[in-house]
Amino acid sequence: MKLEIEDVSKQYRGGVLALRRFSLELRPGVLGLLGPNGAGKTTLMTILATITKATQGRVLWNGIDIARQPDPLRSVLGYLPQDFGVYPNLNAVEFLEYLAAVKGLDGATAARRIDGLLELVNLGDARKRPLGGYSGGMKQRVGIAQALLNDPQLLIVDEPTAGLDPEERVRFRNLLSDLSGERIVILSTHIVSDVEATATDIAIIAKGDLVAHATPEALLLQVEGKVWEWVVPSADLNAAKQQYLISSTTRRSDGVHVRILGERAPAGAEPVTPNLEDAYLYCLSKHRLDHHAGAAQ
Amino acid sequence: MSRSRVLYHMVRADFLERVRRYSFLLTLGFSVYLGYTVYAEQVHVQLDKYRGVDNSAWLGSVVGLTGSVWLSLIGFYIVKNAIQRDRETRVGQILATTPIGKAFYTLAKTLSNFAVLAAMVLVLALATLGIQLARGAGTQIDPVALFLPLLIFGLCAVAVTAALAVLFESLPVLRGGVGNVLYFFLWTALIAIGAASLDKVGPDPGWHVFTDWTGLVSVMSQMQAQVRRIDPLYNGSAAFNIGPFNPATKTFLWTGFHWSPEIFLSRAALLGFAVLLALLAALFFDRFDPARRGWLKTNKQKPVRRGETAELLLAPLLATPSAQSLHHFQMASHSIAHLPPVSHPGSRQVSRMRISALVLAELRLMLKGHAWWWKAVAAALWIACVASPLTQARSDAIVFAWLWPVLLWSPMGTRETQWNTGALIFSAPRAVPRQFLAIYVAGVLVAVLTGSGLGLHLLMARDFDGLAAWVAGACFIPAMALALGAVSGTRKFFEALYTAWWYIGPLHHIRGLDFMGTTAQSSTPAGYLAAAAVLLLAAYSWRKVKLAHS
Repeated sequence: MKLEIEDVSKQYRGGVLALRRFSLELRPGVLGLLGPNGAGKTTLMTILATITKATQGRVLWNGIDIARQPDPLRSVLGYLPQDFGVYPNLNAVEFLEYLAAVKGLDGATAARRIDGLLELVNLGDARKRPLGGYSGGMKQRVGIAQALLNDPQLLIVDEPTAGLDPEERVRFRNLLSDLSGERIVILSTHIVSDVEATATDIAIIAKGDLVAHATPEALLLQVEGKVWEWVVPSADLNAAKQQYLISSTTRRSDGVHVRILGERAPAGAEPVTPNLEDAYLYCLSKHRLDHHAGAAQ
Repeated sequence: MSRSRVLYHMVRADFLERVRRYSFLLTLGFSVYLGYTVYAEQVHVQLDKYRGVDNSAWLGSVVGLTGSVWLSLIGFYIVKNAIQRDRETRVGQILATTPIGKAFYTLAKTLSNFAVLAAMVLVLALATLGIQLARGAGTQIDPVALFLPLLIFGLCAVAVTAALAVLFESLPVLRGGVGNVLYFFLWTALIAIGAASLDKVGPDPGWHVFTDWTGLVSVMSQMQAQVRRIDPLYNGSAAFNIGPFNPATKTFLWTGFHWSPEIFLSRAALLGFAVLLALLAALFFDRFDPARRGWLKTNKQKPVRRGETAELLLAPLLATPSAQSLHHFQMASHSIAHLPPVSHPGSRQVSRMRISALVLAELRLMLKGHAWWWKAVAAALWIACVASPLTQARSDAIVFAWLWPVLLWSPMGTRETQWNTGALIFSAPRAVPRQFLAIYVAGVLVAVLTGSGLGLHLLMARDFDGLAAWVAGACFIPAMALALGAVSGTRKFFEALYTAWWYIGPLHHIRGLDFMGTTAQSSTPAGYLAAAAVLLLAAYSWRKVKLAHS
């Protein structure tokens, strides 16, 4: 099982370049796709989900070009778009039965999976209520259930925890962990903690470029010895922000505890263990600097 | 900020949002087309055998009537989405949190509707000038006679249309397809009432000008008076038609419409009526309150049972990390691993299998959400088809039996766009051909089910010509719905066109336009079967191209 993204670019009408010569090779596991808003994550997801086509490059699913032959991938694909709708007059069971028919599932298997999936996403009690009366989080859970209907080999989930309450977010993360195994899961998000809990691989994307692709451990290794905690008086916080790359600040009785990313520590700063958010910010900032340097040349 | 300034900005923003869409060019194109129909003499204003000599007065009056009559119909379907757009874009929720009152909002929406329709009127006015020059209708251009009928009658008529569109959008029952269909009948009734009064009024229509929405009675009564003066044998008939018509054989010199103070007063009253309608709409407008949507009212929340109370009280405790792992452990029986496996069929197998299940799913989707009384009326019409004598069943009962499901057919080509489910559906294997076929077959099944009363009747009578017409109708209607929905992206287009076509063709048994084949004389089944095939091909190609370029 292999998904290869080869040199993919996507340019929208009006000249906006959403992806630029993007390449990645994926094997079974959970890939966390991280990036700021407008980085090109959703564009990449829609290309992989065969909704849109790349303007350049190709995507191969087990060696087959998905632009030319999308159906081999579609028959094993589960896709949860970032923004999707439901038919408000159908209840959850009817809506999932409809999508099971669209996906070509046989009736008996569909019925059993729908029952199980609705329990899994904690909608067992609301299964017979019209979807029009569901909250945003409940609709999102219906979306998660439909993505798992056909037991997908490639599961693409775009901002899946948007609208979920903390308990449901934990439940979804656990579900993603359970899912990993003989399938490829692509989890696109800008919430680092979602990725931290589940991803076996991380790809960072910014302005349509692949900034980094590595295991979480390798990413953390990049910032080892480059994260510091520094206590500054409140009055000096703005000056510190101008001078250093700050990943977080916490106010305490002895001043503001500032988490700094950098090659060298300011006087009085203590080294701390980096986390994935530090690694993510470090990669983005490095990419931004490289980008500016390239533009200046 | 003053209230007038707020109103200006609300109207301006809404107007700009509309005119910057490509579809606005199409609406302006429609105005130009209306002008062309006058130029090409497809619009006929005739008084028995008389028509006016081409000059500014005659062309201005004909274009004025054409604009006010047709824009008051078509314009409704063009602008009846002002509140819906705010709902869909969720801008409405932001507006609802501002101090803007409901009446202020509906008035602003009426004004922006009016601005859009006024732009169409102005384009038509420009076209009028072109018509006079192109027709070589005299070198003397009288701007007052040429433009004033359209500007006065046209603008006042569309002001009422603009307000009616907001009123229909504010009333939950008229917001959707029901309103689209009903408006056609309301418009027809109002035009017919005006036309009927033409026989009763003399050269001075008196108070009738106040019920004369489009100016038809006012203008034509003066034309009748002028023809009477030159021809004492004139029979008093007056016609305003679009389409093929017996051409006039005589001409008269129309010197122009006489603008009396009553006319201006009646137009001012019409504008006042439009404002009243806009304010009336405020009474029903829900101010984007989701709790006032129809489906939430019927969807009562289940009361919490005694056993569930404890679970609700424990909910905050369950949110703690240690409790979550315990909770997750308790939910282990619902693990993904416990779900039945799925054998992944090849994509070719998918196309062959389960198409019947998909057809049934599409059929259920079509029928879902319609109240019991809708089904009761469909059943009554079915019984009427069976119980009536065959001739009446074919000419009358089926006409209504196949009008009733118009709201089932109208979303066929637009459902994925309307509910934003495209990404879920079109990422499935062979979804485009399979779903297209399934949705069409489901549409045909709706026609077969609702019209089967007549089908059985024809079969038992061994009337195979009638049966062929029935089959052609059952195939053509869903093909038309699918094609118009796919191309326009909105269900309104089919709802408006189907209702108008139904009124002109099947109801009046006009040969060539009678797609239901309601009489042996008006039936042309081969043509409609061919048209169904062409429409299906067009809809399928359009969908493929649209998805490929998405």
